[in-house]
Amino acid sequence: MSNAEQTMDLAAPNGFNWRPYIVRAGQIAFAVFLIWVWKAGSQSAGEMFVADPFKVWDRLLKIAASGELGHHTYVTLKISAIGFAIGCFFGVGLPFVLRRLPRFTDAIEPFIMASVGVPKYALIPLFILWFGINDAPKLWLIGLLVFYPVFIAIFAGIRGVDSRLINMARVVGASESRISREVIWNALLPFFFSGLKIALPRAVSAAIIGEFLVGNEGIGYYIEHSRQQMDVTGAFTGIIVATALVLIVNSALVYIDRKFSAWRPTDRHMEL
Amino acid sequence: MSVLLEVRDLAKRFATRAGREPSPWIIQGLSFSVNEGEFLTIIGPSGGGKTTLLNMIAQIDAASGGEIRFQSQLAPINDMKSLKPGLNCQIGYVTQEDNLLPWRTCLENVLFPLLVQGKLNDETRARAQTLIRAVGLAGWEDHYPHELSGGMRKRTSLIRTLVYDPPVILMDEPFGALDAQTRLQLQDDLMRLWNLGKKTIVFVTHDISEAIALGDRTLVLTRQPSSVAGEHRITIPRPRDIRGILTHPEFIELYQRIRAQVQ
Ligand SMILES: Nc1ncnc2c1ncn2[C@@H]1O[C@H](COP(=O)(O)OP(=O)(O)OP(=O)(O)O)[C@@H](O)[C@H]1O
Ligand SMILES: [Mg+2]
Repeated sequence: MSNAEQTMDLAAPNGFNWRPYIVRAGQIAFAVFLIWVWKAGSQSAGEMFVADPFKVWDRLLKIAASGELGHHTYVTLKISAIGFAIGCFFGVGLPFVLRRLPRFTDAIEPFIMASVGVPKYALIPLFILWFGINDAPKLWLIGLLVFYPVFIAIFAGIRGVDSRLINMARVVGASESRISREVIWNALLPFFFSGLKIALPRAVSAAIIGEFLVGNEGIGYYIEHSRQQMDVTGAFTGIIVATALVLIVNSALVYIDRKFSAWRPTDRHMEL
Repeated sequence: MSVLLEVRDLAKRFATRAGREPSPWIIQGLSFSVNEGEFLTIIGPSGGGKTTLLNMIAQIDAASGGEIRFQSQLAPINDMKSLKPGLNCQIGYVTQEDNLLPWRTCLENVLFPLLVQGKLNDETRARAQTLIRAVGLAGWEDHYPHELSGGMRKRTSLIRTLVYDPPVILMDEPFGALDAQTRLQLQDDLMRLWNLGKKTIVFVTHDISEAIALGDRTLVLTRQPSSVAGEHRITIPRPRDIRGILTHPEFIELYQRIRAQVQ
């Protein structure tokens, strides 16, 4: 209880609001602490296993200057984006098609739900067997990993659209395609974004795993190649880059979500 | 005056859900007609099937039996697929819930019918602005529904129907959630509008005074299964003074007769 009172005091409407600064300072302190733990770990385990954080930083600057960083990042982002687009296309499109075919939907629903359970990463060897050693197996993997969360979110969302709003739109003369675009799509957006929040990081992870196995460029390749060369610093650098990539992609998503859902009631406790 | 809408021997029951008792008849043997340009008010007990009746007239729900004839077209019976909601914008429907689109602002909601009908132009926009001012929503145009009060949302949904000027309007307790003052104001506005355009209005309410003050005729419905318990022609001359009408001798007499019929 005293905690809540304190928060109230800090966020007093007229006084200066210290709260964000205190939180920020705490975050920085924690980040410093984590780097210290990392450094200590590197010293006790040996640099053969855990790279030195400062050497990772130097490496980062070096590959950034040589253009290597940009190239690998571009390759990974590109394959993630293409796979993501494919997965999204089917993940969004299929529920809209199924909406028009209720009986067919009821028939195939158990099969779709069963296929969710297939561990997608386990399919990589098959994809390589079927599609060869090129980008295709990666695209299949990424596409599938993106498809499922988007499909499930949109599918559930479509069932939850308020039929009274649809009726209202029909009465005032809206065509079925207008209803899809206006009423159903807008009601779905929150579901879509919650699907994307799962799908986007997965797309990048899947691209990296694909690159471990196939190809000779991309961040995944850089990590695996470094490991083969016993270059632990390189592997750690790759991991840092991959993490940063996922974080950037995610915050872009949060930004877009905010733009699109300006109409939603904003509640500080809900926004999390 | 010609009959515009005719309801004959109407019956409705909802589909029975698995594992429940067979669903009851909500409406059974309900018959009445509405003339062109008439203001019909309907009173009935809560849960009696008034909203269900309007849904069937607006063709967003199908009747289980009987006939609903609009002009000369029969509404499909028991066949949700062939319904024509709103009958090509000939029937406007102010629903009991406001049913505003939460991602559209007040103004954008009001303009929505014009937008989908391809009738959005300077003239209709001006009309929308006039209506917004008339119902006291000026200054709130850019607010989203969740930022408006219940009464304001209700007023928005009311003018969303008025803005495209359908010849027939169904209203389901449109003034239920409003304070006495706003309510009187809107009743006045509705009367004036109706006098101008001679629309046909079917108006559902819980309030006997409102039913008498506004209507040419009041229909009293029974409890479930709902049918007509009584019908009262209201001959109080127009234009009526909504505020003064409460002391009109005919009003008092009608009020008592209807009061006795409402169960
Ligand atoms: N979709 C539905 N499925 C099953 N039963 C329904 C459905 N809609 C309404 N009912 C039932 O029909 C009956 C009449 O409901 P309706 O909404 O028409 O009443 P009403 O006269 O408008 O009441 P109120 O004045 O409270 O708005 C109620 O008993 C309700 O339970
Ligand atoms: Mg009702």
